[in-house]
Amino acid sequence: MDSAEILRAKDQSLEHLRGIYGDEAETIIADRRYGFISGVLKDVMKRPAIERLTWSDRIDRVIVNRWLGIPLFLAIMYAMFQFTFTLSAPLMDWIGAGFDFIAARAVGISPDWLGSLIGDGIIGGVGTVLTFIPPIFLLFIAIAILEDSGYMARAAFVMDRLMHKVGLHGRSFIPMVLGFGCNIPAIMATRTIEDPKDRLITILINPLMSCGARLPIYILLAAAFFPAHRGLVVFSMYLIGIILAILMALIFRKWLLPGPIGHFVMELPPYRLPTITGVLVHMWERGEMFLIKAGTIIAGVVVFIWFLSSMPWGVEYASANSWIGQLGRLIAPIFGPCGFGQWQAAVSLFFGFLAKETVVGTMGAIFAVKEGSLGTAIASQLSWTPLVAYAFMVFALLYTPCVAAVATIKAETNSWKWPAFTVGYELALAWVMATLIYQIGRLFVG
Amino acid sequence: MAEEITIALAGNPNSGKTTVFNNLTGTHQHVGNWPGVTVERKEGVCRYGDHRIKVVDLPGVYSLTAYSLDELIARDFIVEERPDVVVDIVDASNLERNLYLTVQILEMGARLIVALNMMDEADERGYRIDIEHLSYHLGAPVVPMVANRNRGTEELLGEIVKLAEIERTECLRINYGREVEEEIAKLERLISQSALSQKYSPRWLAVKLLEEDEEIIKKFKGAGVG
Repeated sequence: MDSAEILRAKDQSLEHLRGIYGDEAETIIADRRYGFISGVLKDVMKRPAIERLTWSDRIDRVIVNRWLGIPLFLAIMYAMFQFTFTLSAPLMDWIGAGFDFIAARAVGISPDWLGSLIGDGIIGGVGTVLTFIPPIFLLFIAIAILEDSGYMARAAFVMDRLMHKVGLHGRSFIPMVLGFGCNIPAIMATRTIEDPKDRLITILINPLMSCGARLPIYILLAAAFFPAHRGLVVFSMYLIGIILAILMALIFRKWLLPGPIGHFVMELPPYRLPTITGVLVHMWERGEMFLIKAGTIIAGVVVFIWFLSSMPWGVEYASANSWIGQLGRLIAPIFGPCGFGQWQAAVSLFFGFLAKETVVGTMGAIFAVKEGSLGTAIASQLSWTPLVAYAFMVFALLYTPCVAAVATIKAETNSWKWPAFTVGYELALAWVMATLIYQIGRLFVG
Repeated sequence: MAEEITIALAGNPNSGKTTVFNNLTGTHQHVGNWPGVTVERKEGVCRYGDHRIKVVDLPGVYSLTAYSLDELIARDFIVEERPDVVVDIVDASNLERNLYLTVQILEMGARLIVALNMMDEADERGYRIDIEHLSYHLGAPVVPMVANRNRGTEELLGEIVKLAEIERTECLRINYGREVEEEIAKLERLISQSALSQKYSPRWLAVKLLEEDEEIIKKFKGAGVG
């Protein structure tokens, strides 16, 4: 049988049915399936005469309330960061003390260069990154609890109205929230969005959502420069990320990928009490990657940075004349207007492209702090003010997604055009925002 | 004598599919990607009696159209790889919406078990479900479960093994109304003479053509003269 003939027959059938029903066959078929289901259910299921208002419905009256929804979402996020910091601070101190102890032993190792590699490079770099295990894992626990309990679906529902204003659907908010863990699975999660343009916009704005790998940068600098307002400062980073993501979505929708908003029913799964196993499994799914990265890519980069810091032979470790200093001095002028035109800041951002944890890893290796904290070393050696630190945090939040995220955007959009575009617009956005914050802030705080 | 059975887990998002998967496979899991795409593919193994059961977790979907990647992956696995049994995890507190997927899988002629999950929540809402009767209407076994308390896993495994040994059952036939049925019959006659009917049920292909399913249309275009 000729396939073309079958397809022609199909078109005739569709035409015929359109004539009868005035509608597409697809709709009639779906209606009939639902009809079958409701027929079966009438037969096999008894519902109470009045649907009981479950406790889930009652909670929703408050949570997804038109006026309370967004303030509650912000309050829950703020509580999440406070929880993360309060609990993780002592744990971080213990891990830090542990590494200091090992680093002190490393000084005695001969030959000198090996002691330096272990003490300055590996412990200074990888050790610094590993110190951030507690806050990262605690944040992932908090996200897992919010997800498993059913709250995240509500957050998307609450944001639906706002998302519609910028030309996206509330569904696009779910990948955004997932981005707080890691942008890679978040970008993959956009495949549930059917409209290709909606999906593309959601992908493009996703890296603006602050992932777990950026958290060490905020914690480090917030503790050193804003000791009294740590939680608030870190919270503000996430908020800036969300606000800019929504603004960029608006811009992309208007000028880059115009189109109508798709129609979807947002679903609200019932609330469930999260189980401990479930929460731990989800925490581990996200956290595992952080540990693997620390052991592979970050360790590799840190050793490379140690090498660049020790070369040319005989140079003072990590001085301006070392190779890394020369590289840093080459790029640093770009960051002058942002307030952090020092070469150390420039190289750490440069290597942060490989993985955002590397920003603190690089600083750890360069400063190789023997006593006191890395944060105070940055404050004293770079003579940063809180304003500069804040501008730096904003830059680190917004600038180019990491290599792995870029590769994911390439895979998901199946072209190099969109990853290149994302890197470009984010670098520009980060530079402009950091410069604005620094230059305007300087008018007020000198 | 050990026998290997391949099962696929299908179900709506939030139906507890992941929990059922974890209950079945424990730590024997393997995560990879579906061929050609970066969608995660989870697989696991579980043993039951003499049987080694390979469990493939399909993406969570509401329907099996060709509109989204997830739906296409789930559908392709069921039609192309033909697992021995498809287990459809259904949220008992939300039957109306969940059964839409069930019906579509049954129409494909898959050997299906309905895992009626979250029975506790259905109870809480005051729903009373006649399991046997539901099973009769769908022509598929129905196993009540509360997956997050690991209730019903043994019964599900029992049904899987039982169903895997049965010859392919009759597909569910939904009556689409006289006019649509007439067109389905016409197309079915033409399709049954084409090569594609060797691999797929002609009725299913006919319905899919009327739904203007792009993937199926592509298959026909690709088949040329059969």
